[in-house]
Amino acid sequence: MSAAILTEALTKKYGSRVGISGLDLEVRQGEVFGFIGPNGAGKTTTIRLLLDLLHPTSGRAQVLGLDAHKQSVAVRRSVGYLPGEFGLAPRVTARQLLRETAGLRGMRDLGVAEQLAGRLGLDLDLPAGRLSRGNRQKTGIIQALFHSPALAILDEPTTGLDPLVQETFLQLLREARAEGRTVFLSSHILSEVERVCDRVAIVRGGHLAALETTESLLEKRRKRVTLVFASPVDAAPFAALPGVTDVYADGNAIWLRVGDSIDAVVKLAARHTILDLNVEHPSLDEVFLGYYDVPGTPPGPEAPEARR
Amino acid sequence: MTGQWVRLAQTQLRSRIRSIIIWGIALGALGALYVALFPSMSSFLQQYLEQASEQMQQFMGSVRDSMTIEGWMEIEFLTSIIPIALPFLVIPMGARAVSGSEERKTLDMLLSTPLPRRHLVISSLASMAGSLACVLAVTWVITYIAVPLAGVGLGPGRLAAALVVLWVFCLLFGSIALLVSTWVRRSFLAIVVPTVILVVMYVIGNLAQVSKKAEPIRVFSLFYHLGHPVKGDFPWTALLLMLAAVCVITAAAVALFQRRDIYT
Repeated sequence: MSAAILTEALTKKYGSRVGISGLDLEVRQGEVFGFIGPNGAGKTTTIRLLLDLLHPTSGRAQVLGLDAHKQSVAVRRSVGYLPGEFGLAPRVTARQLLRETAGLRGMRDLGVAEQLAGRLGLDLDLPAGRLSRGNRQKTGIIQALFHSPALAILDEPTTGLDPLVQETFLQLLREARAEGRTVFLSSHILSEVERVCDRVAIVRGGHLAALETTESLLEKRRKRVTLVFASPVDAAPFAALPGVTDVYADGNAIWLRVGDSIDAVVKLAARHTILDLNVEHPSLDEVFLGYYDVPGTPPGPEAPEARR
Repeated sequence: MTGQWVRLAQTQLRSRIRSIIIWGIALGALGALYVALFPSMSSFLQQYLEQASEQMQQFMGSVRDSMTIEGWMEIEFLTSIIPIALPFLVIPMGARAVSGSEERKTLDMLLSTPLPRRHLVISSLASMAGSLACVLAVTWVITYIAVPLAGVGLGPGRLAAALVVLWVFCLLFGSIALLVSTWVRRSFLAIVVPTVILVVMYVIGNLAQVSKKAEPIRVFSLFYHLGHPVKGDFPWTALLLMLAAVCVITAAAVALFQRRDIYT
């Protein structure tokens, strides 16, 4: 089975500025793939190259086994796309937009549009000019998914959606994966990527900084440990343990970060009377910030998580 | 799916129904007014021209030469306000087709469908041609209603001939707007460029009528080449050349658009 997306040394320059540089990426069929990075990292540039909206400076991209540039019409037949920013004609209703899109896709009906509208809570018959930001986003999501594409490319899809609709949307992505379809999800909302994506690529300054399973990325990040003792304990022995960093003591409590195993920390702590032990696994945000050399939340009493 | 551009052109036409009706009624009413005014204006103009300055007589020469309904309608439809106004129906359409759509952020969604870029350009030209044809058809009908009422003898074919020339003339400026729209990312420029060309040609055309010094440059004005279709002198060569220019410009627009990056 060919990759859903395959890029080889894909590069796009805007004059002297690099949009994306030497991107090698493989997205497997049937997975939900997260593509994360801050604004200007090259996420949207990559997506636009895949859809032939931009032409590469060098390198090449394949989508569903087809050349993204030379066979772009065939590519777009099997792809659903939600742009990060899009406009809707104010007098046109979602139903009219979908009818037109369906016609251009050679469809005779509106596919699963009604079903999607029902689940997302969108009235298809209201003119776009009367829709809220969230409902306009729902319209965009439906036009990207109503033809059940083999590959959905979604650029910041949950912008403007309320938490309940966000959850419904993520469920739609899980269902698409269960049906064997592929989702390429560009986002900087890391919690949603963490919840739904099988693998994650992190882009930084136009380069691929990491590409791993969400699980392994999370495991790489150091755990945050909070120990509360019956009486004050010397923090120095904890700081001396291999793999332990960022040790902070205040009163009866000690906060620290630890790598793969917390065994040595637990054994050392067990020499004292422990009132509470809390191990926090890092969020993808922390992993993400780690790739950008931005310090995460310090392991101290000021950290909201540590106050518990 | 070769029918895609037809479908897109139909959609664009449907979305412009309101402006087509407004333009058609407005121009038709203007045409009807010209027809209705002709009986009284012809004698007035005759007297006026006899007393006018030499330059004015030269400027209004075509009227003096043949103070007929054909000459009168030709001035109104091919020399006066209508040929400078009607291109502004299609110039914005051409400008909106690509760069305007890009500015409104509607182009991404459209081009995420399996629509070849050339189809977007062709459908835009087709919808411009269709919109113009509809406006001119309405104009013809309304104008011609006034012909028997005013009691003037104007053959339906003569007026239609002028409108056909006007159709191709306006389409040419619409295609220039389309070309610029596929080339640059500012719809403003796609409106300005054909507008400047149109106004310069208009000025040259009228200047050449009042100044002998300007006569040599009148060949650069399309207005000079529009001939006298209402009088029976149909400008076949100019018409075919303008049509050829529309085709060449559209082909250039397709080529430019194929190579162009589309931004958010």
